[in-house]
Amino acid sequence: MDSMLSEPSMQRALLIAVLLAPLCGVLGVFVTARRMSFFSETVAHGSLAGVAIGLALGIDTAWPILGVSLAVALLVLWLRENTDLLTDTIMALLMSGFMAAGVVGFSKLRGFRGELHRYLFGDILSVGWPDVILAGVVSGFVLAFLVARLSQMALMTLSEDLAHVSGTSVRRLNLVFVVLLTLTVALSIRLLGIILVTSLLVIPPATARNVASTLRQELLLSLLCGLLSGIGGVVASYQFDLPCGPSIVLTSVGLFLVSLVARALRRPARRSSHP
Amino acid sequence: MSSIRFHREGLALEVRGLRVSLGETEVLRGIDLHVPKGRIVAVIGPNGSGKTTLLRCLLGLQKPAAGEIRIFGQPIGPAILGRVGYVPQRLALDRSFLLSVREFLALRLRETRHWIWWRRATLDQHLRGLLPGHDLGSLLDRPVAGLSGGQLQRVLVAFSLIGSPELLLLDEPTAGVDAPGEQSFYELIAAVHRERQLSVVLVSHDLSMVYRHACRVYALNGVICCEGTPEEVMNADSLRQAYGMHFTPYHHDHGPGHHHHPGGGG
Repeated sequence: MDSMLSEPSMQRALLIAVLLAPLCGVLGVFVTARRMSFFSETVAHGSLAGVAIGLALGIDTAWPILGVSLAVALLVLWLRENTDLLTDTIMALLMSGFMAAGVVGFSKLRGFRGELHRYLFGDILSVGWPDVILAGVVSGFVLAFLVARLSQMALMTLSEDLAHVSGTSVRRLNLVFVVLLTLTVALSIRLLGIILVTSLLVIPPATARNVASTLRQELLLSLLCGLLSGIGGVVASYQFDLPCGPSIVLTSVGLFLVSLVARALRRPARRSSHP
Repeated sequence: MSSIRFHREGLALEVRGLRVSLGETEVLRGIDLHVPKGRIVAVIGPNGSGKTTLLRCLLGLQKPAAGEIRIFGQPIGPAILGRVGYVPQRLALDRSFLLSVREFLALRLRETRHWIWWRRATLDQHLRGLLPGHDLGSLLDRPVAGLSGGQLQRVLVAFSLIGSPELLLLDEPTAGVDAPGEQSFYELIAAVHRERQLSVVLVSHDLSMVYRHACRVYALNGVICCEGTPEEVMNADSLRQAYGMHFTPYHHDHGPGHHHHPGGGG
């Protein structure tokens, strides 16, 4: 354990897991209730084009990943408002288009074939200090947003019309949420990889729902599940030499199974107390 | 002129010449509507008559092509919407979103927006102060998505009353509620109206319930087909105008209330 913590790459990986995984858990509560998980898939897959750009230019890929992810997210919003296309169609179009561009870019790059695997499934070693600093800044923004706008987010999730009548600018709040979600997803790619990054937005909220009965409990449990999955996955990845993304996902799936058992145990108790 | 000014000052809601197009279709074609302060006014019409579009305009969710809407004399904006309560037809609720009734009610006000840090007893005490006479005690722990149609409507009315609105807009409030539930719902609205002297706009496809409580009824089908007291609008000719194939505006030739005499009927 000591030797693990003394390694700078592990320190960075653990730090970024502690910063981002709980945020994914909390944001995921709203992502899943608003049926936006395909949106985060779109953003993550599209960011492969950003990876190719970064490698081609020889710069840190963190920036082009962020830039391309934001471009994809804003394109989804723009096309949704300015065309008659279904949101589903728009997202499938952008996801496949940007991902194809990324794969084509990779095929023309020499010496980076091995890199593709790291970006698709996550790698502790790929986490640099700029990633950690960016994750710190973004998680600060997301936390401030959630503390200030939690009620409005909850009401908008329930009914955009009710939120509007209660004085919320639904369009602006939605835009801020989409941007912060995109930044969180883009930064989490380092750990989880493009293919699996959405799982941390989906599995912790699902786990929380199995045992929670109020939104407050759901948010707190989802945060906790995200945190445990992040730390557990990074540690398992180091100890057993596993790809980082799948380790985190399997840890969160393990927690989900525990919550299923807890739910099954609680059900009969509920029935007997409320005949 | 002075009588018009008097009328305008006495209006909770005033709609003039409202036209709305959705795509190629002109859904509302010149709507005039007035709601005197402290009265219950019903807007009835069949499905597709433009009721929901009208309501969306009143809430500032739909931009009209032409016409004017004033609530308490002011154009629609965040400030005036603070004086409006809205009870939607139904919520597209996802059962996996575990928002409890207690948490839902806390979302309405700035002062309770940090409910997540509040102790349950403190929040309950606060909510009781905001909703005197509403016994929601047994529902507070339930998830909003798990409520029956009737329970949800009671909770939505309670939500809309937080912050003491002066105008209440109800969109098909009893859709999906059984007959006894419907009756008790309208009794609740009548009681709230009596206690708080609210102005109420009831939008419904069904005249049978609203006519007992509304002082004035507008029958809508793209245009206002007829308007008047519930008894006037209940006569067969009027209803045929609203629900039948004839969409031309129709003026009653009896009764005190016509298009340009707000507050005259009822």
